[in-house]
Amino acid sequence: MPAVSGVSFEIGDEEFVAIVGPSGCGKSTILNMIGGLVAPTAGAIEIDGRPVSGVPANVGYVFQKDTVFPWRSVRRNIALGLEYRGIRGEAQARRVAAAVSMAGLEGFEDAFPATLSGGMRQRVALVRTLVVEPEILLMDEPFGALDLHTKLDLHAELLRLWGERRQTVVFITHDLSEAITLADRIVVMTRRPGRIKMVYDVKLPRPRDVIRLRETDEYLRAYGEIWHVLGEEFAREKAR
Amino acid sequence: MRYRGSVLFWQLLILVVLLASWEWLTGIKAISRTPGLYWIDPFFISRPSLIARRFVYLLSDRVRLNLWQMTLSTVQSTLWGFVVGVSTGFVAGLVLGRNDRLARIFAPYIVAFNSLPRIALVPLITMIFGFGLVAKIVLAWTIVFFIVFFNTFQGARSVDADLIHSARFLGASERQVMRTVIIPSALAWTFASLTPSISFALIGVVVGEFLGGESGGGLGYLIIQSLGTLNAADMMVALLTLGLIGIVMALGIKQVETRLLRWRPEYRKSA
Repeated sequence: MPAVSGVSFEIGDEEFVAIVGPSGCGKSTILNMIGGLVAPTAGAIEIDGRPVSGVPANVGYVFQKDTVFPWRSVRRNIALGLEYRGIRGEAQARRVAAAVSMAGLEGFEDAFPATLSGGMRQRVALVRTLVVEPEILLMDEPFGALDLHTKLDLHAELLRLWGERRQTVVFITHDLSEAITLADRIVVMTRRPGRIKMVYDVKLPRPRDVIRLRETDEYLRAYGEIWHVLGEEFAREKAR
Repeated sequence: MRYRGSVLFWQLLILVVLLASWEWLTGIKAISRTPGLYWIDPFFISRPSLIARRFVYLLSDRVRLNLWQMTLSTVQSTLWGFVVGVSTGFVAGLVLGRNDRLARIFAPYIVAFNSLPRIALVPLITMIFGFGLVAKIVLAWTIVFFIVFFNTFQGARSVDADLIHSARFLGASERQVMRTVIIPSALAWTFASLTPSISFALIGVVVGEFLGGESGGGLGYLIIQSLGTLNAADMMVALLTLGLIGIVMALGIKQVETRLLRWRPEYRKSA
């Protein structure tokens, strides 16, 4: 059985799209196809009208798992993308310093990842991806392993960073609140093989306050509506 | 570090008690009608005082090949065997670890050669390389190579695929992935094999020296020569020196390891 089937959608420039659905619905598979890690068995993924084959140059990827290199300090982790592009010396140091302050990691530049909390490591992973200025940002449940408080912190952080530079973001999550907090549009998937069940436009204005927005009518309405659809999926999953 | 003082105290106390009882026990004459019999015979295990005297004598210039020269010869061969073994084992481990086809092709040969008792190779190595330095290095190499190879191989294979993917997404070329992900990742495994490697290099060299004769020199030669003259004291001198070499080399490796693996939490305290 394929992981996803008949999934077709378009993502606009600088749009923030979240994909939610029950586990095993092929959310990650979609992301991996966009990122060129997995080739679709049928159909095509196109970025700017060109089909994806292999890892595209202008795409950044933030994994759920901790992918900060443990043998490199925070500074040298953030410098990775620049190093790969041959940007060294003064230019590299300047951009890394900017990224460090952007992520509020001042004072931790020379720390090794093992000494940092999970939230800080994910912060490093995020700015490490952003420092090379990707046009498209793929995020696979990047805050899935964090506690609620750290998660809210990073939501605010991500929204602020995204507000400054507006990448196109595809954000996978199974946390509905997270999806509503962050996204312009939410794609709700069915259980395996994943199909698109519903596309929801989040009408919350920006900039958003990650704490206060949860008390707004639009948040509650969105939550209720998507929850109802997801609930149907869970019920069908159980009935099988 | 806690207990440092008391640990050192007990260590020294044990050493002193050990040496004192050794000296005392080997001095007790047996009650027997045959004269010159000992309760514990220093002929076999010698005595600390005698060993100390032989130690000083062997260090002096009154012997043709003094202890200093022999130690140097053993250390030199061991280090060479270690360096050559580690570097070739590391490269081979990386290459085969990242190339499944090559790994499959070479697997039976590697297993076969590695299960060969290396000591059995000594006569052949001697036949090919003679009795000198090179033979000893080659013997150490045949052991060290495999220890490092297997560790690095395992390390190169178990590199986290997501780390490789993140490097690619950050724009890394194949070479850069190798340099910034696979090598550092595998190095942690390689380091774990260095301490046993230096011990085994020393074993290889000493075995080589057993057969190597005077031209090969070294502490192994001193041991064999002492066997010929039934001189337990000289043997003890060689053994103690070998023990010291082993400790110093292991400490040296520990230093390098602590420095290079300082990113690991278990190394941080000592760094």
